[in-house]
Amino acid sequence: MNILNRIQGILSPLGHDLSFAGAYLIETIIALVFAVTVVAGMVYFFRKYMARVQNRIGPNRVGKFGVLQVMADGLKLMQKESIFPDGRDDLPYKIAPIIVFLGLILAFIIVPYSNLYWFGSLTVTHSNVGIILIFAILAIMPIGEIFAGISSNNKYAMLGALRAVAKDISFEVPMMLSILAIIMIASVNTSQPLNLQNIVSVQNIPFGILEPIGLFIFFISMIARASYSPFDMGESDSELVTGDTTEYGGLRFGLFYMGLFGTIFLGSMLVSVLYLGGGSGPYESSLGFIWFLIKTVVLVVISLTVWLSMPRVRIDKFVNFGWKILLPLSFINLVITGIIVLGGIA
Amino acid sequence: MIEVKQPKRIPFIGMLQGMLTVFKHGLQKPVTVQYPEEKENLPDRFKYRIFLSMDDCVGCTLCEQVCPNLTISMQTVERENPRNKRKLYPDVNFGTCTVCRNCEEICPTDAIYLTHVFETARTRNSFTYNPEELEKHEEEVKR
Amino acid sequence: MNTAKPLNKYVELNMGPQHPSTHGVLRLKLLLDGETVKRVEPVIGYLHRNAEKICELDYYCDSLLYFDRMDYVNSLSMEAGYLEAAEKLLGIEPPERAKWIRTVMAELSRIASHLVWAGAYGLDLGMLTPFFYVFDLREQLLNIFTEASGSRLLTNYMSIGGVYQDFNDKIVYMIKDFIKTFPKKLEEVFNLFVKNDIFISRTKGIGILEKDIAISYGVTGPMLRASGVEYDVRKAEPYLMYDKVNFDIPVSYTKDCLGRFLVRYEEMRQSVKIVKQAIDKIPDGPYFNPKAKKSLMIRLRGEGEAYGRTESSKGEFGVYIVGDGTVKPYRVRVRSPTFKNLSVLRELGKDVMIADLVAISGSIDLVFGEVDR
Repeated sequence: MNILNRIQGILSPLGHDLSFAGAYLIETIIALVFAVTVVAGMVYFFRKYMARVQNRIGPNRVGKFGVLQVMADGLKLMQKESIFPDGRDDLPYKIAPIIVFLGLILAFIIVPYSNLYWFGSLTVTHSNVGIILIFAILAIMPIGEIFAGISSNNKYAMLGALRAVAKDISFEVPMMLSILAIIMIASVNTSQPLNLQNIVSVQNIPFGILEPIGLFIFFISMIARASYSPFDMGESDSELVTGDTTEYGGLRFGLFYMGLFGTIFLGSMLVSVLYLGGGSGPYESSLGFIWFLIKTVVLVVISLTVWLSMPRVRIDKFVNFGWKILLPLSFINLVITGIIVLGGIA
Repeated sequence: MIEVKQPKRIPFIGMLQGMLTVFKHGLQKPVTVQYPEEKENLPDRFKYRIFLSMDDCVGCTLCEQVCPNLTISMQTVERENPRNKRKLYPDVNFGTCTVCRNCEEICPTDAIYLTHVFETARTRNSFTYNPEELEKHEEEVKR
Repeated sequence: MNTAKPLNKYVELNMGPQHPSTHGVLRLKLLLDGETVKRVEPVIGYLHRNAEKICELDYYCDSLLYFDRMDYVNSLSMEAGYLEAAEKLLGIEPPERAKWIRTVMAELSRIASHLVWAGAYGLDLGMLTPFFYVFDLREQLLNIFTEASGSRLLTNYMSIGGVYQDFNDKIVYMIKDFIKTFPKKLEEVFNLFVKNDIFISRTKGIGILEKDIAISYGVTGPMLRASGVEYDVRKAEPYLMYDKVNFDIPVSYTKDCLGRFLVRYEEMRQSVKIVKQAIDKIPDGPYFNPKAKKSLMIRLRGEGEAYGRTESSKGEFGVYIVGDGTVKPYRVRVRSPTFKNLSVLRELGKDVMIADLVAISGSIDLVFGEVDR
């Protein structure tokens, strides 16, 4: 039983075809609303958390405890005039923020959300190649950043885009290798190891315990993917003003901003799905979604603490780190995983 | 002379310690003072708004002379004061006042002095206080 | 052979004057080869306020507050520097108590300045949080300054012939309370920096300033001491009461940004040491020379010339005053340490990465009120 069947059951008087179409639509809308809510919640939570660790109070004027602050900021960004830089490359400049945000939303639809009480499974996409899909989408998002940097006719943005390219190449290879290890270890107990739900369900022992190196590499890759400190070379604010998004304002900037915070949450969700057992936990049959959320929020807090306490890595040092430390580590991780799989420990 | 050396650290563990320090600060009470609702106790010697006691002022213009940036200018006020024959009183433009307190320091009769009052924000365009206003409380001036 | 326009392969980039990491209004003209800076040319003057000329138009006692505004995070040291020269010129000797009070306040001010620097340096390197911790610490110092002088930042506390107001028991208590708790809190904040591998990798071996280059450019202060020269005006030519207290000059031989960071950290601890000794040594007695009191303060006439040098938190701060026998100085000239330290950026900023350039210019401790005056 999953949420699609539940909605279809409610819509069943419309007939078989219509009810399924309506159910898919409603399910997708629910996922989108979830994504936008999560992003808004992330922005609020980040601002509050940052304020508290810095001995401040944070937003507390708009609404009770400042919960409406994000909405107010969003409205402000919407009202702002769109300023276009002279000499821009028009099409890439305009679609860049959309690519970033679209990639984020698409990724939110693929993540397996596990079960919640009466609703059953909350997962939207039941694909047998979910893990490939999600990393394909994660590979789309940097294209938006690069478009933004190159098209806006600004030297800072250009440098930011170049940095983003160098950064992406150097962490994505180790990231994919650590995913390969996940697939290897998942294939022991399931015939469809590319299916995200299967990966969650075979984690009797969370993969993070079996391959801590993989967890480390993947967590670092997720930090670099969302590009916040220490790996925010692309938009390093004290060197390149704001890097690739320098020339953006108004709602377009808002989309980049939401993309940043959404990616932090997305990265935490992926870590908890792939390495910490996603929705599994005590009482897993009915409370999987809650476990999933708890794991994700803990990871988000860790990510934000990393953000707030680390200085920025220099870009060449990060490239070195990616190719000379993360890549060998991920090979070692593969070997260890092979030993685990062949030895039948999993 | 002592030579400073880089302190010992364990790679990676030091970063985790830093994260823990940062996280611990989140559990402390914030230091922010929510200004209009709660007000911090001002130190005893905090000074801002200039007051003038017109009865004591002898019109010596010393405050005008010592004022570094022409904040104080003398003004004639028709007022019975046997000690101030020239009928000159200071007129203060708070838009340029740097609170150097030289006028208070130099005043021979302590007629001009600075007080705790600092909430002089107003919608009126000019920050100039004429001698009568300098003698009044801030609320009266604003009205 | 195509060598017609060799500069064309480089990108010219203007960093500042409106840029998040240029500490106010520094403008850097960069010549970039990809990420590498080929040439850096600092352009200054965006905060020029003509302070030296204004001093010529004002009485000796009024000039003091333009010195507050030069290095606005370290205003009490600036006042001490001006008075060092002005009192020499005017022939007014402050009483013993005033000198001790000035020593205490100048050292507290040095701590305040280094704290701001450390926080801003963290921001330069992308650390958001320590900035707020150091400002929390600095807040205690500003409370002490307010308690003593009535103002938080631009104190105008010292005046010719003494200090503006006497220390009372409350201030002494506050200072003692501060120096008791400060070193521990400082260590906590500084462990965030020096125990962090990324911070070390961003500063260690970056911006090497050789001894002879530093000396030839006239670099002073922590910059010079981090290059391995033991030079501190407080030891070389003691002023105020620095010869009566016991302290050490921190020196680092690593010559890099990390060395400058550690030197400033150690300097703060030495300042605490000085304050700890000085606060107990403040004698009773007058805090003001009556020759410069009340209406006499605008009748002070100076003739001849005087040069006073002091150690501000940035380096050697020199003030040269010429008097022509009237109540106003004929010429005031300031030797500002940051200006000299900034000029060496041209040497340091060759063939470094942009990120390193930010780290290097941050380590100079730029305060533009002082560079441009």
